[in-house]
Amino acid sequence: MSIDDATTAVSEKLAGREDMIVCVDVDKFYGDFQALKRVTATIKEGEVAVVCGPSGSGKSTWIRCINRLEVHQGGDIVVDGIELTNDLRNIERIRSEVGMVFQQFNLFPHLTVLDNITLAPIWVRKKPRAEAESMARALLERVGIPEQAEKFPGQLSGGQQQRVAIARSLAMEPRVMLFDEPTSALDPEMIKEVLDVMKELALSGMTMMVVTHEMGFAREVADRIMFMEGGEIVEVGTPEHFFTNPTEDRTKLFLSQIL
Amino acid sequence: MATNSPPSIDHSRPPLYRDVTVVKWVVQIAALALTLGALWFLADQAGDNLRASNVPTDYDFLSVNPGIDLSSGIDTDPDTGGRALWVGMVNTLRMAVAGIFVATILGVIVGLARLSNNWLLQKIGTVFVETLRNVPLLVQILFYGAVFASLDRVTKDVGPINGWLHLSNKGLSLPRVHIADGFYQWLIVMCIGIFIANEFRKRRIRQQDATGEESYPLLSAFAVLTFVAAVGWFIHPIFGFVGEIFGALSSFVSGIPQTVLQIAIGVLCVGSSALWIRSFLNSRRTPAGLARLTDDDYFRMIFAAVGGILGAIFFLILWPGLSSWMINSLSDLFNVLSNKFGDGRTGRPIDVDLPNIVQTGKFPNYGPSGLNFSIGFAAVFFGVVFYTAAFIAEIVRGGILAVPKGQSEAAAALGLKRATALRRVIIPQAARVMLPPLGNQYLNLTKNTSLAIAVGYSDIVQVGQTVYNQTGKTLPVVSIWMLFYLSCSLSISVIVNFFNVRMRIVER
Repeated sequence: MSIDDATTAVSEKLAGREDMIVCVDVDKFYGDFQALKRVTATIKEGEVAVVCGPSGSGKSTWIRCINRLEVHQGGDIVVDGIELTNDLRNIERIRSEVGMVFQQFNLFPHLTVLDNITLAPIWVRKKPRAEAESMARALLERVGIPEQAEKFPGQLSGGQQQRVAIARSLAMEPRVMLFDEPTSALDPEMIKEVLDVMKELALSGMTMMVVTHEMGFAREVADRIMFMEGGEIVEVGTPEHFFTNPTEDRTKLFLSQIL
Repeated sequence: MATNSPPSIDHSRPPLYRDVTVVKWVVQIAALALTLGALWFLADQAGDNLRASNVPTDYDFLSVNPGIDLSSGIDTDPDTGGRALWVGMVNTLRMAVAGIFVATILGVIVGLARLSNNWLLQKIGTVFVETLRNVPLLVQILFYGAVFASLDRVTKDVGPINGWLHLSNKGLSLPRVHIADGFYQWLIVMCIGIFIANEFRKRRIRQQDATGEESYPLLSAFAVLTFVAAVGWFIHPIFGFVGEIFGALSSFVSGIPQTVLQIAIGVLCVGSSALWIRSFLNSRRTPAGLARLTDDDYFRMIFAAVGGILGAIFFLILWPGLSSWMINSLSDLFNVLSNKFGDGRTGRPIDVDLPNIVQTGKFPNYGPSGLNFSIGFAAVFFGVVFYTAAFIAEIVRGGILAVPKGQSEAAAALGLKRATALRRVIIPQAARVMLPPLGNQYLNLTKNTSLAIAVGYSDIVQVGQTVYNQTGKTLPVVSIWMLFYLSCSLSISVIVNFFNVRMRIVER
């Protein structure tokens, strides 16, 4: 089957890498509605996986299950060797190893940019304030806005806010980054500045799982694209396979609508 | 540069009736004149009518013995009408402060209970809120009054009470903790202790910032303070010498000549307005020099100058007695303070008296050695506390729900524990939403204490009504009520606004 071919192609590129996120038969229900149907996927260390699909297809639900913002009801999720169960200690360990960037940024409006970034390192990692602050400034440098450190989120543009949100996640030195439609709430001219930061992050070897409609980004950066519909993973493949030679009719329909 | 402007621009001034600046000034002055005129007219009319109908408007009753007994307060048999009203004010303030304190705690607990995932807690919270806020406060106060009145009577055994507290239809009597001989000397030890503890707290915070280890700054500062308080309990007599300092200050102040102080007050008035104008001009100064002042800026500066000069005239000419009053009262204050120290004040700083029962009149009652709460106090207290707590619970619930769900999700995704997320992320944002309506509830609570008249608790309204029934001075008493409630409400507003400004979120 072609899905297997595509998976094999990716596996060769990432051969010998550790498994970072393993999902096996994950089910999720909202009442009677089944949002995720036996979702199974493995994401390797250093891999950039893009998840796309029409709205309501379960991509956000899936990514939110991985750090337990949503609770999955069936199947197993293992992140970096830690199984996600009802054990609070496991949940906390996974959350401090997995960074997440939201569509609506969700910066803390009552704290300055610097305090937003240092909050978790100080209160979760118990870092000295001076060390946390110098790291925060280095991260702001990395995302290209070192001069905004003392401002409040409300004083920044959408693109700048999203870059602060990325820096805030990176401050926890995560092993995996999850992006839940990071550019969907942005004006077109700001999308590029956020995507550039994400590309730089991908090239640096970060394991990333990205829910997005930015097909240019997917084509350029992704190691693998997963197409979801109706709570299922319909098609998996390299960007080359996905854009030039999709096998499933639903994938073809989706691509014809957005490209 | 003028040559660059297009020829069509007309630099001539418009006629006066179309000039924005002129119109603005004229309207301002006209409005001021109209307001003052209307007030003067109303006051004049009211004065004429009152004189014609013989309604008394004087305040003589304040210094006359009203011949009334009060049910509770710092002085149940006041010498003058003024003293009686003062006792009423203290009772109202006690009720308001205690009520605000307890209602806030109870309200926060109930509000959080309504948000909890625990079914039972949630339902209890809902029943509490829906019952209490839908029954009129007056009915609730009467209900509590009736319940407490059905308690046992005080037994006829006069003397100390066997035990720590006594409950009867006269109220509740508890051991009274009060200031004793060594208190003021001990207070100095405590001031030093607070300073040390604060320094200690700052050091622990610096330590926490440097190493990242949790150092519990508040808790350890509190431990230091407790230690100092305990040591001070025994060593406080060493501060007996402070009395002599206050004595010297007292004689120094009484030696200041009146004219010197008089002139100083005048200079202070004019000088402070001049300083204000200078700092105002500085604040309008841009890096490029003095910015253009608007009309409003001129208004402010003129008002400040006129205010300063009028103040100086007022204190120098119309109220020359102020300086001698200030000198005398300051000297008296230092005298009183000097008497609180030294002279064998080696006893305990704080003492406790147990309640007792005495019989001065026909019926036995609680004596002054215990801390007594009358039935009236309890009825009003429970009434306003439960009633206001129901509303505060809704405010707390609304405030927390008003923080977007994304905030707690972002905090969770960063690995913050639920308690840390609440303290650092959710509550600071919820407080911003909660403060203004919370201030309203505090104002309501303070004003609602006037329902005390229904159960005979001696608050300012009940005392005032008794006073004007005895003296017939209705209008003066009402004016005192209004002034009192106005100053209470304004004080609460100022405090709430202070926190409101501090919580503001910066945008743009």
